[in-house]
Formats: sequence, C-alpha cells, structure tokens
Amino acid sequence: MSTELQGTLPTAAPAAARAVRAEALSASTLLRLSLRLLWRDWQGGELRLLFLALVMAVTSVTGIALFTDRLERALLAESANMLAADRVLSGRGEAPQEWLAEAENRGLQTAMTMSFGSMVFSDNGNVLVSAKAVSSDYPLRGQLVVAEQPFSVGAPIAGGPPPGEVWVESRVLPALGAAIGDTVYVGEAALRVTRVIVQEPDRQQGGMMDNAGPRLMLNTADVPATQVIQVGSRVNYRYLFAGDEAELLAYEDWVDALAAGEFRMTDVREESAEVAEALSRAESFLLLGSLFAVLLAGVAIALTARRYAERHFDYVAILKTLGCTSGQIMSLYLSIQVVLVVIAIVIGSFLGWAIHALILQALSAVIPIVLPPAGSSPYVVGSLTAFICLLSFALPPLLSLRKTSPLRVLRKDLDGNTLSARLPYGIGFAGALVLMLWYSQDVLLTAILVLAVAGVVLVLSALSWWLLRSSTSVGMKAGSAWKLAMSATRRRRKQNTLQVLVFSLTIMCLLVLTLLRTDLVEDWQAQIPENTPNHFLMNVTGEQVAGIETFFRGNGVEPNQFFPMMSAGITRINGETPRPRWDEDDDDEGEQNSVTERAGGQSGAGAAAEGEQGEDGRRRVSNRQVTWTSQLPRDNQIVAGSWWGDDPQPGFVSLEDDYAERLGASLGDIIEFDVGQGQYIEAQVQSLRSVRWDTMQPNFFVIFSPGTLDGLGGTYLSTALMATEQKVLINELLRQFPTIVVIEIDALIAQIQTIIAQVTSAIELIAYLVLGCGALVLLACVTATLDERFRENAILRTLGAGRKLILSSLCIEFAGIGLIAGLIATLGAEGSLYYLQTQVFQQEFTLHYWAWLAGPLIGMGVIAVLGVAATRRVVNTSPLTVLRHIG
Amino acid sequence: MIRIDNLVKRVPTSEGELVILKGISLQIEAAETVAIVGASGSGKSTLLGLMAGLDTGSSGDVSLDGHSLSALDEEERAMLRGQLVGFVFQSFQLLPSLTALENVMLPIELKNDSRAREKATQLLTRVGLGERCHHYPNQLSGGEQQRVAIARAFASEARILFADEPTGNLDSATGARVIELLFSLNKEYATTLVLVTHDERLARQCHRTIRLVAGQVVSDEINADTEAQAEVAHEH
Repeated sequence: MSTELQGTLPTAAPAAARAVRAEALSASTLLRLSLRLLWRDWQGGELRLLFLALVMAVTSVTGIALFTDRLERALLAESANMLAADRVLSGRGEAPQEWLAEAENRGLQTAMTMSFGSMVFSDNGNVLVSAKAVSSDYPLRGQLVVAEQPFSVGAPIAGGPPPGEVWVESRVLPALGAAIGDTVYVGEAALRVTRVIVQEPDRQQGGMMDNAGPRLMLNTADVPATQVIQVGSRVNYRYLFAGDEAELLAYEDWVDALAAGEFRMTDVREESAEVAEALSRAESFLLLGSLFAVLLAGVAIALTARRYAERHFDYVAILKTLGCTSGQIMSLYLSIQVVLVVIAIVIGSFLGWAIHALILQALSAVIPIVLPPAGSSPYVVGSLTAFICLLSFALPPLLSLRKTSPLRVLRKDLDGNTLSARLPYGIGFAGALVLMLWYSQDVLLTAILVLAVAGVVLVLSALSWWLLRSSTSVGMKAGSAWKLAMSATRRRRKQNTLQVLVFSLTIMCLLVLTLLRTDLVEDWQAQIPENTPNHFLMNVTGEQVAGIETFFRGNGVEPNQFFPMMSAGITRINGETPRPRWDEDDDDEGEQNSVTERAGGQSGAGAAAEGEQGEDGRRRVSNRQVTWTSQLPRDNQIVAGSWWGDDPQPGFVSLEDDYAERLGASLGDIIEFDVGQGQYIEAQVQSLRSVRWDTMQPNFFVIFSPGTLDGLGGTYLSTALMATEQKVLINELLRQFPTIVVIEIDALIAQIQTIIAQVTSAIELIAYLVLGCGALVLLACVTATLDERFRENAILRTLGAGRKLILSSLCIEFAGIGLIAGLIATLGAEGSLYYLQTQVFQQEFTLHYWAWLAGPLIGMGVIAVLGVAATRRVVNTSPLTVLRHIG
Repeated sequence: MIRIDNLVKRVPTSEGELVILKGISLQIEAAETVAIVGASGSGKSTLLGLMAGLDTGSSGDVSLDGHSLSALDEEERAMLRGQLVGFVFQSFQLLPSLTALENVMLPIELKNDSRAREKATQLLTRVGLGERCHHYPNQLSGGEQQRVAIARAFASEARILFADEPTGNLDSATGARVIELLFSLNKEYATTLVLVTHDERLARQCHRTIRLVAGQVVSDEINADTEAQAEVAHEH
C-alpha cells in the first residue's frame, strides 16, 4: 500500500476483519477430498509416472537392501566357515584361561585348536603330518566332513575326534600302510584311526604348520600324552569364538586391551586377503548400485512431481477462488502425497521382496548355502527413502503451488506457470546428499558421486549453451524436418538443457555401473583363472628339482617354474640403519596376509622376527624370503627403473613398490642384506615392482638378479596343478622326496571361486535393476515436455504439416539431445570411474575407448527411440482433440 | 456491499509502467446487479479481479462487506472469498478431473458442510443437470459446463457473485439461456452480482452499467428497463 493514500483509505472495522477466519478442513473432509483428487489424477494418468517413480525407488532400495542384507550375512557366514568361527584369536603361545572364561561369561561359544608338525608311526610306516588337536566344540562354524573309508564321499559330523581317536586325511593311510581301526603313534600316545577327513572348514587358516603335510586330527585331551609339545616347540594356538556380533566386538575390545600385541583377534576379512578384497569390492559395488538407484528414482520423482505441479497451477487457482487458503491447499496436496507414498511403500516393499526373491532364485545355483532371513531394516530403509525422496524431490515443486495467484483464472499469462528452478534443485540436491550419506555411510563414495554430478552439470552448462545457442532464428522453420528440429531445439533451450542434464546423469550412472561391472568381473577372473596351480611345493633342494619335474611329467602333471628361495634380512640402506614406517595395525610389517605371502614370504624355518638383532649386533629391520630369477614373474609389473636385461649382472635387487616405500628405499639405493651365518651381501635397487598378491601364486617382496646369492644355499619353491583324483600322487611324491613340503590350497581356491561367482552374479543383477530405474527416468524426462510438444505439433498439423515431417523432426531432436547427453555422460563416467577405481575399488584405471563411441551412440539411439515412442501420440491424436484437451 | 476507493493498478512492462486502472471509486449495494462494460483492454477484468480479492491494487482500496482487502493478506482474502464470493468465468474453470457433482460439492465441502452431496445435487437439478451429475466437464457442452459453474457459484452461498464474460464462450442462444439462469438464481438467492461483459444487451439486464474506458469510469448509469426485462426473463 502506498503511503500517500493511507489517509484516504477506509479502515475496515477490526472486528469485521477478525471475523475472517479459516475453518480448518476437517480430517475427514481433507482425506475425502485428497482421495478423490488422487483417484481422479490417477485415472487421468497424471499421477502414474510419479507413483511409478516412487514405487521404483522403494522397490529398488528395498530389493537391493534385502538382497545385500541377506547376501552379506550369507557371504559372511560362508566366509566364517573358512575360519570355523566368527573370530579367531591367535598369538605366540597359549592364551590365559581367564580370557576364555570371560568369553564364555559373555555368552560366546569357544573352541581351541593347536597345530604342530609331527611324525606319525604305524606298524608299517611313518609320515610327517600336520597335526591339529581340537577341543570338543570344534568347529564353531562350517562343517567337518568325514568318511568311513579313505578316498570316499563323506558326510558332515558334529564335533571333532573324541579322546583316544584320530581322524586323518585319506592319503595318510596308504603312507602308513594302515587302515581304519588301526592304532597309530603320535609321539608317545597310541591312538586309533576311526575316520577319514574329507573336508575341514579352516584347513588353510593355520599358517604354514597347518599346511605342511596331510592332516591328522586328534582331541586336545590327548596332547599331553603325546609329549610332542615341549618348550620351544612350534605350535600354532588358535582360539575360536562365535556368537552375537555386538558381543564379539565388545569381547574383541576387551581382549585387545589385555593382549598388548601378543595376541591378535581376526575375522575372515583379515585372515584372507583374497576373500576380503572380493567381499569389499562387491559391497562397494552393491552400495554404488543402490546409490544410483536412489539417485535415479529421485530424479524421476523430481521430474514427475514437477510436471504434476505444473499441471495443477490452474487447479490451485480455482481452489483459491473458491476460498481455499494456502494452508488448506498444502494440507490437501500433502495428504495426497502421503497417501501416494504409503501405497507406494506397500507395493514397493512387496515388489522389492519379490525382486530379491527372484534374484535369489536365479542365484540358487551359485549360492548353495541357505541364506539367513533378512531383518526388518531393508523395509525401513526403503520406506524412509520414499519419504526422503518425496520431501526433497517432490515437495519443492508442490510447495510452489501454494504461491499460485488466484488471478490465473482470469489471466493465464500470469507467472506461476513455471517453477523457480533453484530452490527445488537445491532442496533436491541436499536431499540426495543426505540420502547418499545415510545410505552409504561412506563420505568418499558420496563425495565422488557428488563431484561427478557437479562436473556433469558444469560441462553441460557450458556445452549446451554453446551447442544450442548458435545463431538466432526466426519462426519454426517448418520447411524441413532438420530445420524444424533445429529450431525446436533452440526454442526449448531451457527444457532441453534440463533434459540433457537428466539424460547425461542417467546414462552416466548406467555407464559407470556397466564399465565397473565389466572391469571387476574381468579382474576377478584374472585373479584366479582356470587351471591356477593349487599346490605349493617347498623346501625343495637344488638336486631335487630335476627329479620332481620328471616325477610330475611321468604322472601327467605339468611342472611349473621353481623359484630359488632363502631368508634374508635388511641391515643397512646406503650405509644407514633403516627406519621403516610399518603401519600401526600391521603386525607383520604390513605385509599382505594372503596364502601366497604365507607361502612365499614366511615359509621355512627360522624366519627372524622384525627387529631381531643380527649376529654382530647389526639390527635386521625386515626379514623376508627372497628369490632370484632372470624372468619377471607373471603377476609383477615394473613401475620404476627397469628389469634386468638379457644378460643380468649380479649385485642388483628389485623391490615391491609399497614395501620399498615403507622401508624408505628408492631406486639406486644400496641395500645390505644379512643372509645368515654371519654373511652380508649388498645389492643396488634397480627396479620397483607392483605385485598382485591375491592371485594365490608365489610372489616376493625382494627379487635379486641371478648370481647375487650364488653359493649361499637356499631351497626352491614351485607350484603344481593337481586334480582331486591326482592328489594321491602327493603320497608317492613325498615318499620319493621326503624332505619337501607340499601345501594344498585347492580347497581354498574352490571356496574363493564360489564366493567370486556369487558376487559376480549379484552385481550383474543389481546393474540390471539400476538399468530399470534409468529407463524410468528417461521416460519421465521425455514425458515432461509432452504437453508443449502436443500443442505445438497439433498447431503444425492444423497448418498442414505432414505426419512424416513431424515424426522425423521429433526423431532428429531427440537423437541430437541423446548424442550430446551420451557424450557428456561418457565424460562424466570416465571421470568418476577414475576416482572410483583408484580410490574405492583399488583397481587400476584405464580409459574405456569403446565407451567413447558407444556412450554417445547408445544415448542417441535410446533417447531417439524412447522419445519418438513416447511422443508418437502427438501425431496419432487428432489436432482438434489435442487443442480442445490442452486449451 | 462493495466499496472501491481511488483504486489504481499499475503493472511493469518492458516499455515502462502501464497504468491499467486510474483511480476508480464506486460503491455497489447488496443485491444490486452491476454490469461493467468496456472495450478489450479497458481494465474491466482487472477491476473484477481486484474487487473479488484475486489480486491487490497498487493503491487505493476495495472493501467487501466491510472488510478492507488491502488490510488482508492472501490467506485472509482467500478465506473471505470462501465466505462471501462466488465466481462464474468465461472459460468455466471447472476442475477437469472432478465430475459435475464433485465440482459443485467442492465449495460446500471446503466449509466442512456434511450435506455437500445433497445440496450439490439439488443445485444441479435446479440448473437442469440432475441427470448429468456424474459427467466430467469434457463430457459436457459449453452451456452445460457454464451451468455447472453457476451451480458451483451458488453452492457456496456466496453473497457476492462475480461473473467474467459468462457468455463469452457460448453461442447466443445458449448464452441467453445461461444468463437467464444466472439472473433467476441471483434473484432467488438475493445475491449481489457484478458482471463483466462487452455485450450491451446483457449489460442492460443489470440494474446498473458502469462503463470503463482506458482504466477510468466514464459513465455509471441505472438501467431504466431492468426490472421489466428481469420480470420477463423470470416468467420465461
């Protein structure tokens, strides 16, 4: 009100003004009205896409959450089988009894195993076995499978051997010339062989002593009678725990506080690098898939809600003329949305359950285990996602309805028919951020996605402006389809930019998932390819190499490379005592705790502990099994310096790059090694290698050039691939070469391959689910501009434009938008993949050249087909109907 | 009933400020029927919107039944419209997704009146659409839609009825029938009717004709033959 007129204005009676009071709509009226509007809007088709988007959000999130929840539990259970427990406490001796009592007090199940090497005798022979004494509750997880006769199919059994009995692996019996029921001697104890071990859950987990010979299992109660455990004996004590996860975590903290580094509690992730890697990558992928699903469903909701809101401006204006207040209008629309969300949650939860059941059905072949039932949290997550999506994506456009001027009933040209873009996008972005953070609990992953989206928006803003701006034109250029399409693209620059943005983000999400999936699967396949050697041969002397090769060839087994190996410690780097930076958590100098490293890096007797004093007082900061070879091993890549040439000279060494970094060594440094018996050698660092540790093959931190360690002794390490039916050969091999050690990792490889097959199938299905979400977004986006296209094309047709002209122009317009979107999407996908692969998935990033062609082409094709399919009605509906309908 | 004091409406345009209404003052009594006539662009629809509280003036004031609109915010104006005002528009402005019956029920329901269905059915029967209650607007002819709009306008038991070119989208015969119905109901409910039109014949059926030219009132006359015509219309 202008001030100069204030005086002349009649002041309305305050009492009268107060009489203007809104009666709040009663709940029943509100519900009735909203249900009616909801039903009518549903019938009119206006709500269908919004509803579909909400259902899709709930379905995908609930489905993925249910699936990952159960799969995670199953994979952890499967992995726990590899430990025979949920947690294992191991250390350099026996753990205090009160620790075990504490665990039992906390309601945890406990068991213990002791592993040691021992000779076993019978009346007819003897054999070196890897003995394992187990307490009566062993195993806590997984199954011990035993048979009544050697080399036969077994059945699971509860518990280990009772006192007085031993169970052995099949090949022990022929080696001893014994049979089931015979008595054998372990140390001083006479024990009866009653069963044959077919499968032992934690066969590979006991370290070297557990894998150095065929298994003989006895009861811990019989150990004192054997008298084989003396002071200084190498015994591997493992204490197994199982129970409630929270209780386990609490107990772990309790033990850690007392253990002071002497003991260490581990779970399968720490015990097996191979499984841990696969599990963590699969989890990240599933998480990423769910994030994309949420993001895409959110975009679909935002788009459809926006269209819904735009179509309701007139509606609200009429309601306002009828006396509806903004508050009443908001109540009305909010209750419509709440009803819609509740229905979407019910249907989405059911569909999510159905989808996860279907996925499990499809995976039944690769998930042989029974999955534990899912908790309620996936449903809560799905429902909350729907509400957050609604609040952040759908509410902002609906809120702007409130501001609609009632004057619209008289003047259609009034503002209010377009939504303010910034606020809804801002709220939507904030909502998406909250959802992603809450969902992933992973700041890095969220940050990468946010950066990728921001990057796409930035590039798009610049590119679309430049591409779509071009020269200004007058009129619709309705002469040819090309010109018509170009002029339409320019006229709808604003909407088209939004469309390109949505298309780009959608295609980017799909590209990232597809490329990542391909890379992960390829990587896994490369990790343990078919015919990976499944036995390690160690402690082989130089003289035995040729004999073993002949033995293998004679029995149809292809011999592999023999790596010479010896123990060496580092004492000086460039004349200085090195000060290595081992990570705090890494007990073992941060080395990879993998089977391979256990084989390659710690084997043999006398591996000195870190920091051990050398014989002349020089401090050995690191002790490693080292090798020398002229050939760069298969899983190694030179990252700095160069591998020795065709004529390698002695005096050089190649280090694993992370190890060199922690050691503080670099190219050209002279390193002094203590090679035992008071001898020291020096070698210059000629190259740094990256090593793939998870391939289950021998690998070394330190490789010398041939000739450097000549005359210093050492043994050889090799591998062999033996099928199950060839395993009996090991007996003969050990009989001919009794000093060698054979480590069997075939069971472990099979277990890892099963887990990898499971996670591969899982990530593929998630990728398909996200594809579904993507298709919905594309459809929603195309539909968003349908009204205007209807109107424009109806006018064009009224004026005589042919069906073909309009269809061609639509096709060209959509193809152009798709091409630009595909290009930007590929750019965004490669950018985010770079960070995802290097920071989250710990993979190497390489550009996906084919994607640069496929991305734009697929974008062009898909958007053109989808666009024309969705707008086909434009030319199939009579212009009169369109004009009458739209008004 | 309606009092306008020195009402001015200015709107910014790309060529500068445009003054649509230039200080209009007038008064309309209860149960009076008033036609606002003028050429296109004379400001008559703007005046109607301001009188009905659909918009606010740049200066000056409108008061409806003693309520100064300039003292009210949009929320309070909406409440006032709900209590006092009914509308009939040139383009009918029915909610397309509601049936005829539901459209008429809407203002009654907004007042939390539990007899909405009954009252709306009665009104639709009164306007001759008792048989078409469950038809959607797009299933009705223009004349029928306008009759539904009239039924809706009276459904709220409004004391003031604003009609913006109510026959603008109708042929003359249909338009005449709609007007007849409008006046007849107006008389029945003793409503104050403000009608914007460029149709002189229609204007003559009102008690009073206010003529606008370029945003100013140039004449404000009582129509001599209104009563007679109204009688004829009623009998007919």
